[in-house]
Amino acid sequence: MEQDIELLLDNCISEMRNGKSIDKCLAKYSQYAGQLRPLLQLVQQLETLPKPEPSLEAISAALIEIGRERAIQQGGTAAFSKISNAALNLKKRSSIFNKIRNPKLAWVFSIVFLFLVVLFSAATISANSVPGDILYPLKLATEKVKFLLTFNSEKKAELRLTFSDKRLQEMIAVFQQSGKLDTTLLKEMLDEAKLALEENKTPIDTASIFAAKLSHVNAYQKDVLEKIRPQVNPSSRQIVDEAINMCDMRGRWMREMMNENDEVYPEGSDSMHSPQQMPRSKQKSNRKQWGPGCDWDR
Amino acid sequence: MKLAKKDLRDEELLQLLDRAKLNDSKAIGIICSHLYSKIYRFIYYRVNAVEDAEDLTSEVCFRVIKSIQSQKGSFYAWIFRIASNLINDHYRRRSVRSNVEPAGDLIEEMIDEGNKQSELLEQKELRQSLKKLTEEQQEVIVLKFIEGYETDEIADMLGKSSGAVRAIQFRALTALRNNFITKEVYTKG
Repeated sequence: MEQDIELLLDNCISEMRNGKSIDKCLAKYSQYAGQLRPLLQLVQQLETLPKPEPSLEAISAALIEIGRERAIQQGGTAAFSKISNAALNLKKRSSIFNKIRNPKLAWVFSIVFLFLVVLFSAATISANSVPGDILYPLKLATEKVKFLLTFNSEKKAELRLTFSDKRLQEMIAVFQQSGKLDTTLLKEMLDEAKLALEENKTPIDTASIFAAKLSHVNAYQKDVLEKIRPQVNPSSRQIVDEAINMCDMRGRWMREMMNENDEVYPEGSDSMHSPQQMPRSKQKSNRKQWGPGCDWDR
Repeated sequence: MKLAKKDLRDEELLQLLDRAKLNDSKAIGIICSHLYSKIYRFIYYRVNAVEDAEDLTSEVCFRVIKSIQSQKGSFYAWIFRIASNLINDHYRRRSVRSNVEPAGDLIEEMIDEGNKQSELLEQKELRQSLKKLTEEQQEVIVLKFIEGYETDEIADMLGKSSGAVRAIQFRALTALRNNFITKEVYTKG
């Protein structure tokens, strides 16, 4: 009988390890339940005892000692160096892991990691937001940070073009949702394109490529504005007309600039000098301006 | 049920042992670092201080490697026998039986793991009661519930039959339970 209950206890422990509850285990052996239950409850408590791990320093110290002893026995250093290498690797691991194991540091790491994950996720989700959305300010902030972290002037100018395109997409989305034209977005769209030209400090030989891109963006924006013009509120139509006109002027100005291969400058510039002959500061300043009528005059 | 990590696979261990017996230093390094945690937990629950547990574990590793070439039969049975003998020597040297309060570092560890105060006290009492068991009862309880071995594996390690291990397990759990009941009576009384 005693032998039987020992076997039953062992069977119940195995079943509990496979996920069964005490009650389910004892259902089969109801006549022994009174005797087995307290023992199985104790088993549950025993299995919650901490499973201690030795420090990695202790393991590496033991490995070094063993390596040293073996080297003495074998009269050489090869064995020592191999085992010591294992110990050194452990020590390297220990210095990092011990820091992370420190509950306070682990807490800080977790918070920072969580913050970065949340920020990254929010920034990604905010990419499709429009004015009025809760994440829209984050989208603008992300753009600003991205711009500030870009140091290459050519890439900065490209970013401006991207922002200009984003404002256009937002304006379309808002228009589709509410049927109203967001004139702030329209203005920002044109401003970003203007700033793209100002940011552009590309070498003279690649300036025409950028000018072509800008011209393309400008043409696309004009096209979109012309398409939505008939649907906008008559009171906003004047602003759309002005914007279309501005795009028109800019387009013409860009074509002239490309045709004359960087030698024709907007009105008021010193067109007698080729860019190569002009001082660098003057070259930049000339490329920083649109032609007349290409900007808001209000 | 949360259990300790299992061993290297049998075939991996056998290969490493063969290499270690041929003085392969890399294999010796791997065996040592693998064994260390296992032996440490076995010793930890039978001594009072982390430092003692680490010193004894290092000594076991040292002895294992020193005489690995003459090792025969079950490897784990062999190392746990070495560990058990060392623990006995440790107490003989100190002439102190292990019914002293657990070291403070264990309590801190348990707090770090986020245990509740009541659980903490229960675990503390459980650990103290564990030390009042006989040597072989402690071995079976630690191997079974801390290391997570099955009865047959423990039987192989301790060189006993499965029936004998089950009997030790039953007596150990009954004794632990009685200890608890006595404590509760004293506490409430």
